[in-house]
Amino acid sequence: MSILPFPSFLDDVKEKGFKKAVFEGIDDSVERLTAGLNVQDLREAFRGENPSRRPNPRLTPHADGFWLHMRPSYFNRDVTGMYPSFRLGWLSTYFVFFETITGILLMLWYTPSPEIAYGDMLTILSNVPLGQLMRDMHRLGAEFMVAVVALHMMRTWITGSYKKPRQFTWFSGLLLLVLTGFLSFSGYLLPWDQLSLWAVTIGASMAEATPVVGDQVNLLLRGAPELGANGLLRFYLLHVLALPALLFVMTGVHYYKVIIHGHSLPPQRENIGEDSAKRVPLDRRVYFVPDVLTNEMMWLGAVTFIITVLCIWFYHAPLENHADPQVTPLGTTAPWYFLWIQGALKLGDKFVWGVAFPSIALGALALLPYLDVTPSRRYAHRRFMLTLAMLLVSATTILSYMGLAKFAVQTSAETEIVHELTFEPAHSKVGTGRTIPFDQMIVGAYTTAQLHGHEDMSAAELIAEINAETQANGQFAQMLDELKNQHVSANQLPLRFRTIPVDEAPKLLQVMEEFEHHLAQEPVELPNVWGALVITDNQAGLKRLDWVVSWDSVLIEGGEVMMDEAGEPIINYASEEMPMLDAAGELMLDDDGAPMMQVLPMLDEAGNPIPERRIFSDHLFIHQESAYFD
Amino acid sequence: MNLLVIRSIEARILMGITMFVGIMILVGWVAINEEARMQAFVRQHTGRSIERGAELYASLCSECHGEDGYGAGDRAPGLNNPHLFGFDPVGEQTVAITTANRTLVRLTEDTEKLLAEFTAAENPPGADRQDEILAQLDELEAQIAEQQAQIDTAVAERVAVLETLDTAVDNGLFPLWDSVVDIETTGDDEVEIFFNSNGTRLTQVGWAGDLHGYIVTTLIHGRPGSARVYPNSTGMAAWSQTAGGPLRQDQIEDLAAYIINWDKGANWTSEDFLAVAQYGKPLADGSLPSEPPPPPAGDNVAGILARWAEMEIVGSPATGELLYDAEFGCTDCHRNGASAPDTVGTVARIRTERLTLPQFASYTIEEYIVESITRPGDFVVDGYSSGLMPANFGARMTDQQLADIVAYLLTQA
Repeated sequence: MSILPFPSFLDDVKEKGFKKAVFEGIDDSVERLTAGLNVQDLREAFRGENPSRRPNPRLTPHADGFWLHMRPSYFNRDVTGMYPSFRLGWLSTYFVFFETITGILLMLWYTPSPEIAYGDMLTILSNVPLGQLMRDMHRLGAEFMVAVVALHMMRTWITGSYKKPRQFTWFSGLLLLVLTGFLSFSGYLLPWDQLSLWAVTIGASMAEATPVVGDQVNLLLRGAPELGANGLLRFYLLHVLALPALLFVMTGVHYYKVIIHGHSLPPQRENIGEDSAKRVPLDRRVYFVPDVLTNEMMWLGAVTFIITVLCIWFYHAPLENHADPQVTPLGTTAPWYFLWIQGALKLGDKFVWGVAFPSIALGALALLPYLDVTPSRRYAHRRFMLTLAMLLVSATTILSYMGLAKFAVQTSAETEIVHELTFEPAHSKVGTGRTIPFDQMIVGAYTTAQLHGHEDMSAAELIAEINAETQANGQFAQMLDELKNQHVSANQLPLRFRTIPVDEAPKLLQVMEEFEHHLAQEPVELPNVWGALVITDNQAGLKRLDWVVSWDSVLIEGGEVMMDEAGEPIINYASEEMPMLDAAGELMLDDDGAPMMQVLPMLDEAGNPIPERRIFSDHLFIHQESAYFD
Repeated sequence: MNLLVIRSIEARILMGITMFVGIMILVGWVAINEEARMQAFVRQHTGRSIERGAELYASLCSECHGEDGYGAGDRAPGLNNPHLFGFDPVGEQTVAITTANRTLVRLTEDTEKLLAEFTAAENPPGADRQDEILAQLDELEAQIAEQQAQIDTAVAERVAVLETLDTAVDNGLFPLWDSVVDIETTGDDEVEIFFNSNGTRLTQVGWAGDLHGYIVTTLIHGRPGSARVYPNSTGMAAWSQTAGGPLRQDQIEDLAAYIINWDKGANWTSEDFLAVAQYGKPLADGSLPSEPPPPPAGDNVAGILARWAEMEIVGSPATGELLYDAEFGCTDCHRNGASAPDTVGTVARIRTERLTLPQFASYTIEEYIVESITRPGDFVVDGYSSGLMPANFGARMTDQQLADIVAYLLTQA
């Protein structure tokens, strides 16, 4: 009868006496640690004596030790090449370690606090040698890892490797896919820039659609109704603690199952319904040492080399402006690997498409090996499953495309066009308006009307005509009012349009042509439109660029231009408040003696109604050192 | 199908070694270029910080400090201002005068020593020595006259420069100048003392830190006293979130970077003083406003409305419009309905959309507006972010100003 409710050291003491129990305990621990050598064996080994126990205990660490037997001692020649694995499982493992190492290096300079996090990013980029390289590698590695893990899953599907006895290997792999996605997603928020804040806000808002507990889940995840200090801390802990811990455990489980069942052979190398992965004929064995080991070391070098080259010349992790919960950037999207959910959300109900659909999709994937129980792994026998795989790829691609900001999101044309020219660097793109070289930003007001294509007139004549026209119809004055409202200094307001300096500023001309091109695409929403770019000096080395769009207002409801019966857009006409006159031409007064007013359309000299002129502007400042145009 | 797999083990080892050496060379190459890259990043980041600061300045600061930074409408001092950046228009002359004065002191001491030796009762100098001393004294006298002439020239130049600054002095440069110094008669020491304590904005306010710190701290806590010295100012608000304002610390830094970008360093000239519309004023000149400012309206809606009725406060829509557009900058957000409800149509919207909500059942339109201004957090219209509208308007507006704005909004059918 044990003293404690489970067998313990105390039982040994009771049975054998204290001294003997302790010595046997030590002996036992040493034997476990050395994988087979007890204290006496060690003593003999160090003294150079022959072993007193048989079989020779000094061989057991080599024969049974865990670390030396992580990898199988030999593989089937058929699974050591590119096909059928494409090294995707190996690459996934590679990225787990690659991300851990680069991640730990980044942790040295990172504090998960909204006040500091963004500054830490700047420090990593500006004051940590190789900091930018580490960040680029960590970020690129994360993107690759998601892609590689997803491809690994597709490969398993296509070669039918999930079939008996590997059903649970598939399931643990699916968990790893989900974990990889969440790991990458949780890391997205940490730089605390606009890109991360809004991508994560969109992603996290999907949790809100969960029935009953949606609000609570959302609150748990974000730590507050809006993403803030607590949300950042939670995402950080998920990213560096909870998810990696789970990932490592699941990687262990997954790898254990892989080794237990052996690497599945190419489908055509096996008899139907048979799993011969563990029975490797002598003549097909490739030994881990030295063949597979050297091969893997070479791959390790090659992949790291490729990533290094990519991060030096071709890829830099994005860093946008400081996160600002009050400024929603136009065209925000979730990270690319969650775009398919964002696309699905545009199909309808938030719960159905944002929660139910992804859950059912993942659930179906998890059950796949238990639903597809046909014994054959041959491609010819699996036409249905292969078709399904292709459908899954196509559906994900289409849904991801639908997730892009440009798909089915209504923004007014003028906002969209100006945004296209002015947006801040994001996803390695930048508004073309920012790419004009500083010395080509020549002070003055330029209009796209100059580019309407009057080939019979010189540019100077054309501009003179445009100036006369816009001064007469008040559109120029309207633009000046708008500029004044936007705090352009009165000393800097332009007097008239000038011709675009083609020779000194070819890039300026190019941008104006692009502006004109965009405006010309919207004849229905922006009738009689012209755009203007007003460049003013602001400080030494700092210019201000005001982008103006002026057009005849049309009736827009629900983001759609309203059409009349003739199929023409309905124009809004300008109106003004006029005192009412009675039949005798006298002012009509109300009970208080004030003149009665009525709203009348404004008419031009010919008696035609004047379209209401709308104006829109946005501006940006460009410093000569900010180098958008490198 | 063993593509891309190298059969021979030697080739694999060679390939692997090449790759690892390649990685080391690449990383080493990146490492030796890091210094230059980091410097380039700092320059680029400073540039973009100035751009963001410019954006903030245009929308938040230009109303009072002027679009060009010269100060506007007797509301706030110019920041594009050599005085702020420590440029001394008479610095060159002051240095010349000080140097010459020091030389004068030395020459006078030398003269006195020689005279003492010449007239000593014990141990008088011999005849040769006497001649030598007399010759040296003559030379010293000539040098003294030369230094004196230099001082006179520098003083005259200084007067000339200061005369060109008359307009700037009228605009508030060197406050107290007229009461303290008469440039023709006051001694050089007094002038120097005056410039030592008034020559730059930092010495004028007795700031012990640097300019960046001065600008940043001012942005953080605002200028509570400025309403007393600038007739049209309501007092500079505390802009930082630390002090209850709207800006984050990085935005404060962006603004500071933009303001400091006005500094021309060695290229300031005394002409630059003339462009500035108004200068910073010393806050501690001892004078007090003739009557205390009226108390702010506060955020007790019922109390405000009761006071208006009791004290017969009636708003003027015209004044209200000015306050709404310029003073409190409401139109900056309340236009187009993009970031806040449009000003146009306020009354109709309140009547048909807001007061029909259950929580506003017993409200009047006026009461709804007053509550919206003084307690913006109590109700936020769907589709707009909460916390965007500053919550301190009740503390910044007097009853009359609030009533004016309400009267103006009631005209926005």
